[in-house]
Amino acid sequence: MANHRGVNPHVAWLVGAALGALLAAPLPSEAQEPQSRQEALRQQREEKSRSLSPPERSGLERTLLDLESGRLLERVLNPPEGFYPKIGNITAGSGFSFGPAYRKPGLFGGNADFSAFAAASFQRYWMIDTRLTLPRLANERVSVDLHAQRYEFPDEDFFGLGPDSQRVDQVTYGVASSVFGGTGAVRPRQWLTVGAGLDYLTPHVSTLGEGRRIDTLFNERTAPGLATQPDFLRYALFADLNYREPRGNPRRGGRYAVELEQFDDRDGDRYSFRRVEADLQQYLSMLNDRRVLALHALVSTSDVEPGREVPFYFQRTLGGPDDLRGFRRYRFRDRHMLLLQAEYRWEIFTAVDGAIFYDAGKVAPRLEDLTFRDLETDYGIGFRFGTDNGVFLRVEGAFGSRDGKHFILRFGHVF
Amino acid sequence: MSSNHGPQRHRHTAKFWVCVLLVLAAGLAGISGGRAAAPKFFPDDPIQIDDDRAFDAREAQPIEGSNAYDFTEHTFLKPGDRRDIRAVNVNTLDEVPDSTWFINRIGRGPMSIDALVRGPNQSDTLNVDDWPIVQEKSSGITPGYRLTDPSGHLYQVKFDPPNHPEMASGAEVIGAAIYHAIGYNVVQGYIVEIDPARIVISPKATTVDMSGRRRQMRREDVDRILSRAARLPNGKYRATLSRFAEGRPVGYFKYYGTRPDDPNDIHAHEHRRELRANRVFSAWLNHDDSRGINSLDMLETAEDRRYIRHFMFDFGSIMGSGSTVAQVPRAGNEYILEWGPALKTLATLGLYVRPWITVNYWQGARSVGRFEADFFDPVKWRPEYPNPAFDNMRPDDAFWAARLVARFNDEVIRAIVAKGRYSEPGAAEHLATTLIKRRDKVLRAWLTGVNPIAEPRLTADGVLTFENAAVTARVGSAPTAYALTWSRFDNAAGANTGESVEMRVTEPQAQAPKQLLQGADFVAVAIQTIHSDYPVWRSPVILTFRRTASGWQAVGLERTVASRTE
Repeated sequence: MANHRGVNPHVAWLVGAALGALLAAPLPSEAQEPQSRQEALRQQREEKSRSLSPPERSGLERTLLDLESGRLLERVLNPPEGFYPKIGNITAGSGFSFGPAYRKPGLFGGNADFSAFAAASFQRYWMIDTRLTLPRLANERVSVDLHAQRYEFPDEDFFGLGPDSQRVDQVTYGVASSVFGGTGAVRPRQWLTVGAGLDYLTPHVSTLGEGRRIDTLFNERTAPGLATQPDFLRYALFADLNYREPRGNPRRGGRYAVELEQFDDRDGDRYSFRRVEADLQQYLSMLNDRRVLALHALVSTSDVEPGREVPFYFQRTLGGPDDLRGFRRYRFRDRHMLLLQAEYRWEIFTAVDGAIFYDAGKVAPRLEDLTFRDLETDYGIGFRFGTDNGVFLRVEGAFGSRDGKHFILRFGHVF
Repeated sequence: MSSNHGPQRHRHTAKFWVCVLLVLAAGLAGISGGRAAAPKFFPDDPIQIDDDRAFDAREAQPIEGSNAYDFTEHTFLKPGDRRDIRAVNVNTLDEVPDSTWFINRIGRGPMSIDALVRGPNQSDTLNVDDWPIVQEKSSGITPGYRLTDPSGHLYQVKFDPPNHPEMASGAEVIGAAIYHAIGYNVVQGYIVEIDPARIVISPKATTVDMSGRRRQMRREDVDRILSRAARLPNGKYRATLSRFAEGRPVGYFKYYGTRPDDPNDIHAHEHRRELRANRVFSAWLNHDDSRGINSLDMLETAEDRRYIRHFMFDFGSIMGSGSTVAQVPRAGNEYILEWGPALKTLATLGLYVRPWITVNYWQGARSVGRFEADFFDPVKWRPEYPNPAFDNMRPDDAFWAARLVARFNDEVIRAIVAKGRYSEPGAAEHLATTLIKRRDKVLRAWLTGVNPIAEPRLTADGVLTFENAAVTARVGSAPTAYALTWSRFDNAAGANTGESVEMRVTEPQAQAPKQLLQGADFVAVAIQTIHSDYPVWRSPVILTFRRTASGWQAVGLERTVASRTE
């Protein structure tokens, strides 16, 4: 009875053995156990061959690849040929500007390059520039540049002339001009360029600035050239010794440039003057170029015959993101100008440098006043983003001046 | 009745299910036991060839690489499997079998100096006068173009930078020769002098202008390229001429994962021995540009199927050359973006000086960039940005590579450097001397990082011989002793069996216990090397030998290595 109601152990063994055998038998889809290493590897490859798929890219990878392989940024923003957008600053204080540009290299048997742009800013500054350059004459030792330009800067700051000008006297004026001319240069050595230039200028000053009008506070005596603006011929001679390395973002070497200019008043001689400028840069490299002490001196003096004046709109200025960075743009202006800058630059990592700077300078009505006494000064700290080819962005804070603190965001290097 | 039968029935029912479960368990054990029963050593171990051409890969798609993405991905995303595991493509003797990735050359046996210097090249020299230019060079920063030989085969020309004549082209051919000798696939490369008067442009040659339009290539396009190239005193331009490999290009390989469209690519690249160990070769040559983008996958044809062969290329940025400039001092010492030192430098306004910044480089020749050996530390060496395979490199990978580096003796190095045809006095000597010094540092660092037992042999009469690779390379002194533990090995079970026998010897030679050898199919011996200067040598190397008709064959070599974090 017990066996009748229970289960025969032999049956149990049989059932179990059958199920076990079923489980132990290889499934139809299961590969045979490999008998060799090669077979084992082959089985793995066979298995993979059943589930191949094309390589996939993430959205980020696709985007970066398109930008890179299509040279999209270069093609769009700075192509060697064709149309492109001109983006940046027309002049200091113009604000962000943009407009169409065009360049066509290789004209006249490959010797000439043509370029043109028209750009305007939200501050209503605008400029049209056309240029024909022949940079590859005489085995690239001679270059010629012919240019025509028209611009209008409607909102230029003016604080009066001299080192004692007051910030409360800030007024604005507009200036427009056409420029036609050319420059020829010879490069006897890779590091030396000498040349000459001739320009015809048609400056015109407008008193209709955005802020307080210039003629509400200044007149022809305190702002020479405010009443009338003749046309000018500008003659220039220059020499440029440049052995900086690398050129776009120097870490060693120096540059010593001198320029002599003669401005001839075409309506008389009242505003004719001469100007001499020396621009000296020296880069002291330390620690395999990872630390650089950059020194810059710029001296500009203008000389006039008795009874003549240097128009205020042609006088050199100090103040702004490229010279006295702790002061407002064009804060100081006069016939003579001295600027001294020192920067300690250190590489933080590839493509990013830090910089601590000190600026000093002054303007003076007389050359004998252009001394190292009573210099306006500032200091600051900043970061530069770029490569050996150039600094594309500069972020700086300038302090220590009597003109307050200034935050600077600029495309391009300081000097 | 029921009260009597109930428990008995339950007992019988329980017995039934116990029986079923037992047999089922036996059956399941049969399945898993069948798998576990796979022998540790197959009859064809150790394999010398990994046949990764077995399956057709004709569906492989070209993969285009982005430098920016490659940098971003490896710097910020850390792709790949980072497990600390043994390389997955080594054979049971811890060697790399031949494959489409790697062919043992200098590691297999002595090579003549001629063969080493010739490298992959089929000709001694080539003259490219009147070879037509067919297109511009499509990528990279070095100026160049592509042309075809009279048979129509495609070549690429790359010029030296104006300020460093001979630098990149010399580095290119030297790097290719060394990588070829090591075992990698590299394309043929020649130094050529190009006469600008003998440059011919094919009427079908095209270039892509900056408006994105493809147009016919003109002489001024070539002149623009030449304007960025170094001109020799004889008026010609020295360049590297690289012959395109056979087959169809399908992009590049990454240093992690596998190609999803290649059935033969089954080993994760970050765990491939030859890719992990490329860190050693790259450190030796300061090949900081060793990354996926500088590789090439070619789809080749064999009989009725296609397969991918994997190439290393672009050696113009090694040995102090930065291709277009002298290499930057950071190269090899720090990633492009390494937060720790960068933040220290930032916070201290540069008063913190990274040690590599103070290195003085030889400046005796423009054809040599920044290449030195005194500051070089192979273990701390870095590529431009993290590389998953390099990160995964273990001491056994490095040891394998260092043994290959050891094959390049001074004479070989000088002969290969001479291939660079440097004209400036002292240039070749500086490069050769620096390579030799760096080689010695590589060997000291990585031949001693594991128990350096190699080349095991067991004669038919039971004499074991092996090599201490560190001693052979003269980077380590002879050890005090070798402690050996002999066992029989059960290949099916994958475990030692029976009594073990221990012995100590002072020379890399020992007589195996006869009682163990008698009747055994496999024997194993664990060797510890006793050396007071190298405690890590006590980690045993386990050798396994299989009985053959004529004696014993080495089939297994396993190193015990410290984890990467130790």
